[in-house]
Amino acid sequence: MLAVPTTCPFCACGCGFYLQVNKGELVGVAPSEGHPVSRGRLCARGWSAHEAPLWGARLRQPLVNRNGKVESVSWVEALDHVAGRIKELIEAGKSVGVLGSPRATNEENYLAGKLARAGLQTNNVDFSYHSICRPLIAGVEEVIGEYGRSISLNDLESSETILLIEGELARTHPRAAFSVMKAVEKGARLIAIGPTRTQMARLASLHLQTAPGSEGKVINGLLAGVLHPSLEDQISAAVWCGGYEELRRDLAGIKTTEEIRQAAEWIVRAKRAAFLMPPTSGQGDQPRKDAAAFATLAAITGHLGRPGSGLLLLLGRSNVRGACDMGVAPDRLPGYQPIRDGRSQQRLQELWGKKLPSALGLDAESLLQSVSGLIVLADDPPSVLPMGQRAVAAMERIEFIVALDAFVTPTVSAAHAVLPIASFAETEGTITNMEGRIQRFHAANDPPGEARAGWQVLAELCARFDVGVSYGSAADILREIAQAAPRYAAMGQRMSDDGWNEAYVEDSARGKLMLHATEPAALTSAEYPGVLACDRAIDWGRDPLVLFSPTLSRDYQSQQRLFPKGFVGMCRQDADKLGVSAGGQVKLTSAHGDTVVPVQINTDLKPGVLLVPYAFRDHVGKVLGTGSLVAVEAARA
Amino acid sequence: MQPTVYTIEKPDITKWLESLLESAEVIAPVAEHYGDVVFSTITSPAQVLWDFENALHPPKQFVLPQTDPIVVIKRNGQRHEVEPIYDDTRRILFNVRNCDVKGIAFLTRMQEMEPADASSLRRANSLTLISLACNTPCPLGFCVCTDSGPFLNGGYDIQLTDLGGKYLAEVGSEKGEAAVSPAARLFRAPTEAEVAERKKLETAARNRFGQETCHFASAMRRISTGRVQDSLWEKISDWCLECGGCSLICPTCYCFSVRDLARDGNWIRCRIWDSCQYTAFTLEASGHNPHEQRKDRIKRRFFHKVSAQYYMRDGMVGCVGCGRCVKVCLGAADMPAVVAAIRKGKWHE
Repeated sequence: MLAVPTTCPFCACGCGFYLQVNKGELVGVAPSEGHPVSRGRLCARGWSAHEAPLWGARLRQPLVNRNGKVESVSWVEALDHVAGRIKELIEAGKSVGVLGSPRATNEENYLAGKLARAGLQTNNVDFSYHSICRPLIAGVEEVIGEYGRSISLNDLESSETILLIEGELARTHPRAAFSVMKAVEKGARLIAIGPTRTQMARLASLHLQTAPGSEGKVINGLLAGVLHPSLEDQISAAVWCGGYEELRRDLAGIKTTEEIRQAAEWIVRAKRAAFLMPPTSGQGDQPRKDAAAFATLAAITGHLGRPGSGLLLLLGRSNVRGACDMGVAPDRLPGYQPIRDGRSQQRLQELWGKKLPSALGLDAESLLQSVSGLIVLADDPPSVLPMGQRAVAAMERIEFIVALDAFVTPTVSAAHAVLPIASFAETEGTITNMEGRIQRFHAANDPPGEARAGWQVLAELCARFDVGVSYGSAADILREIAQAAPRYAAMGQRMSDDGWNEAYVEDSARGKLMLHATEPAALTSAEYPGVLACDRAIDWGRDPLVLFSPTLSRDYQSQQRLFPKGFVGMCRQDADKLGVSAGGQVKLTSAHGDTVVPVQINTDLKPGVLLVPYAFRDHVGKVLGTGSLVAVEAARA
Repeated sequence: MQPTVYTIEKPDITKWLESLLESAEVIAPVAEHYGDVVFSTITSPAQVLWDFENALHPPKQFVLPQTDPIVVIKRNGQRHEVEPIYDDTRRILFNVRNCDVKGIAFLTRMQEMEPADASSLRRANSLTLISLACNTPCPLGFCVCTDSGPFLNGGYDIQLTDLGGKYLAEVGSEKGEAAVSPAARLFRAPTEAEVAERKKLETAARNRFGQETCHFASAMRRISTGRVQDSLWEKISDWCLECGGCSLICPTCYCFSVRDLARDGNWIRCRIWDSCQYTAFTLEASGHNPHEQRKDRIKRRFFHKVSAQYYMRDGMVGCVGCGRCVKVCLGAADMPAVVAAIRKGKWHE
């Protein structure tokens, strides 16, 4: 029995454990007491992390589809075929693009970006989850100038006040929820903002219940609360921030409630306060503005840069941070530097020996709608994007898709060529958690069949597009990343090859804080008086690491069987008013269209709010449009 | 059997381990990354740890692996053939702690109940347990409350006690004798003073328990007579994140699920660890789930662990006081915390 230390591949907390291997097969997971993040604790996903690579539908041979026939081919043939088809499309003047993934390593994502920019000469590079977290990151950047600075999960346990925008933290980030729980046990004041009375909301000292998409109203209320004359003398940090007077003026008209004033006082008077925010839903630009207001609240109360205090962005998937840092974004270069940043451009051109494309690229959603050739690295747009199954239809019109993945996914099924790569359990590489901690994957066994490490396959593709650098190992790529992304510069020396041996992403120079807050526009109207929203912007059930795990897939599969037509949750009061009971049908109408869907009663909801599980968003796709929140009218069907 | 007692000098331990390595797979606590202690197959006596806090991952994996192939199903024309898979590898668990000796005994007793589980029993029968008594109890352990340590008076194959320059070796079974006999020349009869010293160490260890205590008796009375209010389970359930760690890590938990793994044209039917804390654990094919609410699952777990009904059947509470659930709990619902809440009828108040 062998125990191989590695990093958890699920959420962005970045726990560590040992993969246990017996006679070349994964047999289990053992926790690590000494791991700096998890310290012996794992969530249900972590405990079953070995299952998907062992039990899953794995890709074993390179496959190409020629004239409607899928053939198993050699690696050389497959790589030549893929490169040939993409070149044909480029020569024909058609657009091509690349999707990276938070399920892939930093090294793989970095090479995906390099392949797009230096090889295919396009900025059409993104990853599906980016469309969900982009507004959150952008809003925080507006205030702080960067998105990366974060408190650690361990610091969180010593907070005196925790402000949580609740998107079911207990399910999305159990390790972070544990820290919140420990802090509450020690007497911290937890303030939860969200539409449902979730587990975290029940543990909170104060649950500020709000409709989905209206979190901004509460945040603005809190801003007005901390600017109240009784507290304003405490927020000396604010005078150092730009935009302070404008902020005071903008918030002058907001009336605060007793609850809000109490919460504001807890935030201001805390020596250590944590601000936790996941991606939120909202119309138009609202999620970005909400994130900016949230960061402003942390800045103005002096909790940014104070040891043990600060922001924690609750990114959904293990390596979202790494995919961003590697420049897997149409408008960002490695280091998440803006594409127009002259110094970054020059550095990369020297490093890659190629001129970079200047035209802005397309984001993941637009890529699916418009490119003719697509290289997909371990991403699966239908399971990640709010547009759900409509992404399958979008992919069907793409002339040539090549999928690099370890597992069979809907994207792999839609692809014209498949390049099998190693799963997290069989590869070397690093991922960056939401704290900015860079940690290693270690290969516990060999990939199945002819599958190869993803970085090797991407390096081969790069070579076919004349971006030839030969890498002997994933560590060679990491060394190149250190040159490409300044924030990863000092990392090489600090990370040894052994164990988890982590390093942190460097903070960039801190600019002046810029405060922002804008009152959200009204969402509902007389015509559409209700709000329909997806309840969490992540669908673990369709993620191959959950779907292929016998233990973890049960909940999702039973939900699919129990609710073949999906459902929306509404409070009893609303259901009674419409005259429907659980299992009955309602007709939902929005500006986008209408649909009929079954109802389940959710006693935690406020009147006027309809929640649909993210996994069931396709059942209300006609009403939701492309977003994850919309104003609706509900009627008995 | 009445234990036979020997003494072995510390410098001779290496030779003894070498003789054991010749005859069996020897598994012992070894140092891993970040100061972790992990049970692992050793190739050299130098790997074995002697001064350590017990490994977080219990050695039950060597009786009941997390993924346990039990039969292979082969296609033969129109028929299927089923062949059992037995693991008769001779294994020695060296320097295991006494809580784990008790845990493995508990699991074996369960597997022996009709219908007996041949696959697990053969693995257990091939296993020799050589324990190292705890002169210093671990900080979160409470084995003294469950009669499973720090010293045992039976149930082990061999129990070692560190007497300074030497170890006292109490041999409690034929498997234990078989582990000593190839190196018999290294062992001698103990002096009276050595036997007395072991008693003294046991008494001292019993008086040195740390922060955790777990008073099962009054909790058992309350839980067996239905005197735990539902609202208490509901409150506790808000402090659980349903990781399943408590049951996966528990030396006495054995619940599993069954899946077939496709390999080389055959199916390997595997038993895989499951946790009664997972929503889907009791999910029925109809979609009905008798324990849909987390509070019901937690209540069920502690009823199984602590009620008189199971105590009568198993002869002990379903806990060996190892304290692992305190360490892995991704929440605050570990055994000592819940037992205290049951006794007091209060949670975080």
